[in-house]
Amino acid sequence: MKDHCCGPGYASPAEAMMAPREKLLYTIAIYTGTGIQKPDYLATIDNDPDSPSYSQVISRCEMSGIGDELHHMGWNACSSCFDDASISRKYLLVPGVRTSNIHVIDCATDPQNPSLYKVIKGSEIKAKTNLSAPHTIHCLGAEIIISMLGDAKGEAPGGYLHLNKDFDIIGRWESSMGDIPFGYDFWYQPRHNVMVSSEWAAPNTFMPGFDLEEVGHLKYGRRIHLWDFKKKEPKQTFYLGEDGLIPLEVRFHHNPDSTHGFCGAALSANIIHWWKDTDGEWKWEKVVDVDNEPHPDWPIPVPGVISVILLSMDDRFLYLCNWLHGDIRQYDISDPHNPVLTGQVWMGGLLGCAPEVNGVKITGGPQMIQLSLDGTRLYVTTSLFSTWDNQFYPEIRTNGGCMLMVNCDTEQGGMKIDPDFLVDFGKEPNGPSRCHETRYPGGDCTSDIWI
Amino acid sequence: MNTYTVTISNRDNATYKVAAHRPLLSSLCAQGVDLPYGCKYGGCITCAGKLIAGNVEQHRQVALNNRQLENGYVILCVAVPISDITLEIGVESHDKLYRNPFLDPLEPHELKANIATPKEI
Ligand code: FES
Repeated sequence: MKDHCCGPGYASPAEAMMAPREKLLYTIAIYTGTGIQKPDYLATIDNDPDSPSYSQVISRCEMSGIGDELHHMGWNACSSCFDDASISRKYLLVPGVRTSNIHVIDCATDPQNPSLYKVIKGSEIKAKTNLSAPHTIHCLGAEIIISMLGDAKGEAPGGYLHLNKDFDIIGRWESSMGDIPFGYDFWYQPRHNVMVSSEWAAPNTFMPGFDLEEVGHLKYGRRIHLWDFKKKEPKQTFYLGEDGLIPLEVRFHHNPDSTHGFCGAALSANIIHWWKDTDGEWKWEKVVDVDNEPHPDWPIPVPGVISVILLSMDDRFLYLCNWLHGDIRQYDISDPHNPVLTGQVWMGGLLGCAPEVNGVKITGGPQMIQLSLDGTRLYVTTSLFSTWDNQFYPEIRTNGGCMLMVNCDTEQGGMKIDPDFLVDFGKEPNGPSRCHETRYPGGDCTSDIWI
Repeated sequence: MNTYTVTISNRDNATYKVAAHRPLLSSLCAQGVDLPYGCKYGGCITCAGKLIAGNVEQHRQVALNNRQLENGYVILCVAVPISDITLEIGVESHDKLYRNPFLDPLEPHELKANIATPKEI
């Protein structure tokens, strides 16, 4: 059982798995790029199956202005502060990629109805750090670091914004970006003094939309970087080449002693695995390769576009989404060198495999996912990024995004879409919005790091 | 002060007087036109509108590729008018702004200016 004398989170991944079921979900919903002149918002979803408003949006916390493009978000504190009784998991930091504003949302005072606590203005961040386009947030003990994908003018590589626990800007976190050309996601594993970062592109490249030709002009990433975490500087780069075009989410094992981690290369539609070998060297290999699929109307086969990966809290399963194909896959990674496909479900996508699910037309494909701490419920949303949505799934403007739940078999492996859960963001009161990343009050499978 | 007239074709041809040296987004928002925007420095495309008539100067924009420029798109947060102009605004004007890159590739001369190669004739 959790020791209540202590700080946020759990003593270990095994304890996290025994936490109570998540009864509230916090999900980003955007109007940026939709034509609806309203702020993006944080939607709170009732996820208590015994409640009359189960699987409905019960409150909406609007940002301070329009055009943010909320995308990813992170807690002010996680299990890395488990021993610090003065800290609690109270605030979600919710950045706007386009405005660089970072919204601090109080989710603890009234968990059913979160409220805007503070806004760190993009203009202040640019003036003090020459950074823009916030993406991934991890707490760092009581402090917070955020990957920023551009400089103040939207050029790569950007860097890392360092905030204190009161959300004041300390400055830039990193000592050096070394030769890193682009930023995106990062994760750290303190017992091995290592941080891993991946590469999307400069904000000025990816924000306006996806020009495939720019990949050949080296405007998109193809590397993973290992950092000396204490020195705050990169120390080794894996050049992935054609196997690792647009490497996005990076996930270490939750087990703090492990050196194994995974990255989804979106455009190559591969899973890259890295680890520290017995000879002390860090190595990488491609462990999953999703084939391109023929499309009836397209001149070239469709790549999967792996937009996200996630590891279960016990590090046994890896989940990935093929946003353009429309499938979510579950792999058993008990042997991280040899993932075994154990489950697959379809929703939306461009291949026409599941245009309708639970009575709703799915526009977009499986994109962002979050898993319950016990590993049995996977929440899935369908929008990727407003401009990219507009290119691949233009009907999302009128249909909006949606959220589904997938029941995952953690004994035998296997997945099944839950027939009773559906949040249709096409029916939002201000018009169709698009949903993205999800978190829950008690922590989730992409927040917590153990030191 | 040098001013030009902006006509908005998809708002009942409403007209606005705007300063010659002020970005159009700022001038129009100040007069109550409800326009989308994001970065406000010319890099994210959110504020794009379509130029139907007249001319603008928008060298600070870095969001549009040459095909989008060819199709008349202007980045309102950095574009300034250099004549009287007619604009179509908002996502209604975005019919040609977005394309599926797998279905409809760009020619080398249609890429963004910093990587485009001149069209072979
Ligand atoms: S607001 Fe981003 S390009 Fe104009």
